[in-house]
Amino acid sequence: MTDIVLSNRRLSPQAKRALSLFARYATIIGLAGMLIAFSLLSPKAFPTLGNFTNVINQASLAMIIAGGLTMAVIVGELDLSIGFAASLHGVFVTGLVVRHGLPIPAAIVVILLMGALIGLVNGLIVTKAKVNSVIATLGVGTILTGLAFAYSAGVPIVAGVPEAFLQLSLGRWLFGIPNNIVIMVAVLASLWLLVEKSAIGQEIQAVGGNPAAARLAGINVDRIKILGFILSGVCAALTGTLLASRLGSGTTSAADSYLLTAFAAVFLGSATLRDGEFHIIGTFVGALIIAFAFNGLNIFGAPTYSQYILQGAILIIAVGLSSMGRQMAEN
Amino acid sequence: MGACVLAMNDLKTAAPESTLPFLTATGIWKSFGGAQALKGVSLDLRPGEVHGLVGANGAGKSTLIKVLAGLVQPDRGEIQLGGKPIVIDTPHKATANGMSFIHQDVALVPSMTVLQNIMLGSPKKTRFGLVDWAAIARDVAPLAKRLGIRASLDAKVMTLSTAESWMVSICRALVHKARLIVMDEPTASLSVGECERLFGIIEDLSRSGVAIVYVSHRLDEVLRLCDRVTVLRDGSSIANFDRAGLSQQVLVEAIVGHREQVGTEIVRRVPAGQPVLSISNLTRQPKVRGISFSLHRGEVLGIGGLVGAGRSELVKLIYGADRVDTGSMTIDGQPFAPRNSTQAYRAGIGLVPEERRSEGLLLTKSIAFNLSLANLCSLTLSSFLPMMSSRKRNAMSLATVAELAIKTASIHAPVGRLSGGNQQKVVIGRWLRRGPRILILDEPTRGVDIGARAEIHRLIRKLAENGMAVLVISSEPDELPDLCDRVLVMAEGKVVTELAGDGISRAAIVAASYVGQAA
Repeated sequence: MTDIVLSNRRLSPQAKRALSLFARYATIIGLAGMLIAFSLLSPKAFPTLGNFTNVINQASLAMIIAGGLTMAVIVGELDLSIGFAASLHGVFVTGLVVRHGLPIPAAIVVILLMGALIGLVNGLIVTKAKVNSVIATLGVGTILTGLAFAYSAGVPIVAGVPEAFLQLSLGRWLFGIPNNIVIMVAVLASLWLLVEKSAIGQEIQAVGGNPAAARLAGINVDRIKILGFILSGVCAALTGTLLASRLGSGTTSAADSYLLTAFAAVFLGSATLRDGEFHIIGTFVGALIIAFAFNGLNIFGAPTYSQYILQGAILIIAVGLSSMGRQMAEN
Repeated sequence: MGACVLAMNDLKTAAPESTLPFLTATGIWKSFGGAQALKGVSLDLRPGEVHGLVGANGAGKSTLIKVLAGLVQPDRGEIQLGGKPIVIDTPHKATANGMSFIHQDVALVPSMTVLQNIMLGSPKKTRFGLVDWAAIARDVAPLAKRLGIRASLDAKVMTLSTAESWMVSICRALVHKARLIVMDEPTASLSVGECERLFGIIEDLSRSGVAIVYVSHRLDEVLRLCDRVTVLRDGSSIANFDRAGLSQQVLVEAIVGHREQVGTEIVRRVPAGQPVLSISNLTRQPKVRGISFSLHRGEVLGIGGLVGAGRSELVKLIYGADRVDTGSMTIDGQPFAPRNSTQAYRAGIGLVPEERRSEGLLLTKSIAFNLSLANLCSLTLSSFLPMMSSRKRNAMSLATVAELAIKTASIHAPVGRLSGGNQQKVVIGRWLRRGPRILILDEPTRGVDIGARAEIHRLIRKLAENGMAVLVISSEPDELPDLCDRVLVMAEGKVVTELAGDGISRAAIVAASYVGQAA
C-alpha cells in the first residue's frame, strides 16, 4: 500500500534528471517534431529552402523586438510598450523621410535615438518614480499610440515613400541573404555577447536574479534596469523601421501585435535549454517555433481566427513551461 | 490509541505517561544533486517531550525538518505516526496530522491581522459560508491570553515585535490542534526577556502533551529546556542524549566530532594613526541618534547591543542605503556622503549583509558567478575590451575556494546547494579579491556552525592584519570578545560604552547593552 504511493510520489534521481532534461529540451523537441510533421504532411510546399528563408525573413522583425524584450525581462521588468512604440516608430520614420525629406540613414539614426529615449523614460519611471513596470510601460505605450495618431491623423503615410527605403527591408545586400535576417542575426549576436560574455552582462544577470544582493555587491541596479529598457526601446525602434520599410507605409497600430508574439517567444525561450532563465538563444528558438507554427497554419489554409487561438495558447504554454523550469531550478 | 490521541488534543489534560512515540522516522536518506544531505537519520518524538535537535550547519537539520513538513521527499526511509506508516507528501498532510512548523523567519502575512493570521488556512464558517469572525475571536482569545499575546487580535502583524510574531505562530499551531511543534532557531532574534517568556510557554505546552522539537545553535538553551537531545553530524544522527548528566562540553564534542577549543585567544591591537572612516554625530531618526566613532586601518571594531539598538540602521547609513538626517562622515579625511550603495562601494566599502540568502547571494547561480560579482572589472579580457575572461574568473574562483576552504565539488555548482557556513564564505570571498579599505560584516556567523565560525573569525582577523579596517556587527555577546580589538555597545540608537583591551568581555557587553536600554 505504502509502496504504491511511494512509487507515485517519490521520483528516483534518474527520473528527476530525465524530467529536467525533458523540460529543457521540450521546446526544441517540439520545434523538431513540428518541422517533421509539416514536412510529411506537405512535402512539396513546406520543407524547401525558399519557404524556410521566407519564414525566418518574416520572423526576423519579431525576433529583433523579442530580443529587446528579453533584455527588459532579464533585469526583472516587463516592457509592454514595445508593440505600440514600434508602430509609432514606423509612422515617424516614414514621416521623416517623406514629409521632412530627411536622408534615410539620418532618419534611421533619429528613430533609433528616439527608441533609446522611450526606453530611458520607461526606465526612469520604473526606477526613480517606483511605478510598477507593467503599469508604467502600458501607460507609456498608450501615450505613444496617441502620438502616432496625432502625427498621422490615423491615415497611413504611403505616398512618396522612396524605393530606397523599401529596399532596407526587402533588399538582399549581403551574399543574397535578406537584409532582415542579416540585421536580426547581428542584433541577437550583439545582445548574446553583451549578456553572456561581457562584464556588464554579469551585472545584468545579477540584477534580474537578486536585486538586493546585486545592490550590496556594489552594482548600480537602477542604471542596469534603465539599460534593459533602453535596449528594449532601441530594438522596438528597429523593428518598427523595418516593418514600415516592408509595408512601404507608416501605419498606426501596424506593429501592435508584435507585443504578444515577443512575450510568447521570450517565455518559450526561458524554458529552452535553461531552467526558466531568460536568455537570447532561447528567445530565438521561441520565435522560431511561433513562426513555423503560423507558417504551418498558412500552408494548410487554416482560417485567420485560428491564429489568435494559437497565439494565446502558445503564450500560456510558454509561461507554464517557464515557471516549471524555475521550480526545478529551485529544488 | 484513538482515545489517547484525543486526550492529547485537549491542552488542559496532563501529559499521558505513555512513552509510545508520537512520531518515528527511521533510516531517512536524501540527496540533492550529488550531495548526500541525510544518510540514514533516525528520530523518535514522544508526546509531551521537548526534543533538542542540534548539529553543525550542513549536518542535515533543515533537510530533516523539511522531510517531516512534507516539503522534501526522502529517497529512502520510513516515517510512522502513532505506530502507523505514513507518507508525508504535502505540507497539508503534515498539518492535517497535527504537525506544525515555525521557521526562523516567521511565515505570517504582515498586512493581515493577528486573528486573520491565526485562522489562515482553516477559517470557521457560518451557515452562509461566510467567515464567522466573532466566533473565532471568542475561541482564540483565551488561547492568546494564555500565550501572553498582549497585542490586540485586530492589530496588523507588521506592527508586532518578532517575539510577538512567534507567539502568534504558536497560537496558530495550537488552534490547528498541533501535537508536534517544530521550532527552528526560535531565539535567534529575541531579547533575553522575550526568550524567558517563550521558554515558559514551551514548558507549558510540554506539560499539556504537545511534543516540541527545538532546533538551536544555542546549547545553553537546549540544555535547559530539552528532555532529550538528538545530535546530527554529516547527515547522520550520531547521538541521542537524555538530559541527565548532559553537559555543553559533551554536546560540543558530539557536534564537532573531535575536541575543539571553544573561544580562541587573540592578541588585541591598539589602533594607531589616522582613522580610515570617521563618523561624527550621525543621526537618522528614530533609530540612529548621534553616533560618533572612528575606524582605523588594521583594526577590527565590534558593535554590540541588543536587537533593535539601531546597529543595522547605522550600517545602512554608512553603506548609502539610507540618507543621513544630520551628522557627517569622512573617509581618509575626505567628506563622505553616499547617496546610494554604489557610491559607498566606489569609496572602498564592502558589506557582508545580515541576510546572506536574500541579500548576499544569487542562489541558483554558480559559486564562480557569485564570487565574481564585486570584481567584474578585474576579470575582463582587457580594460579596453570589457568581455569576461573565463580563464581569469575560474582562476580567481579556484584560488578563493581553496583559500577559504569552501567545501564544494566544483566552482560551477549553484551556491544554494552549499551549507550556511560555506555560503557565508562565498559572500566574504567576493570582497577578499576586491580588497576594500573598509569591510562591514553584519552578523557574520549567524546560523553558522562552530567549525565554520572559527574559520570565519580567523579570516576576519587576517583581513585586518593585512591592513583592512573591519567593522563587525553582532548580537551574540560571545562573538565580539573572540574577534575584536575594540567594541562599541549601542543601545537605543546611541553608543553607550566603548570597550578596549582586557575590558572586552561578554559580561561587560551584556551589562552595557542593558544599562543603555534602561537609560
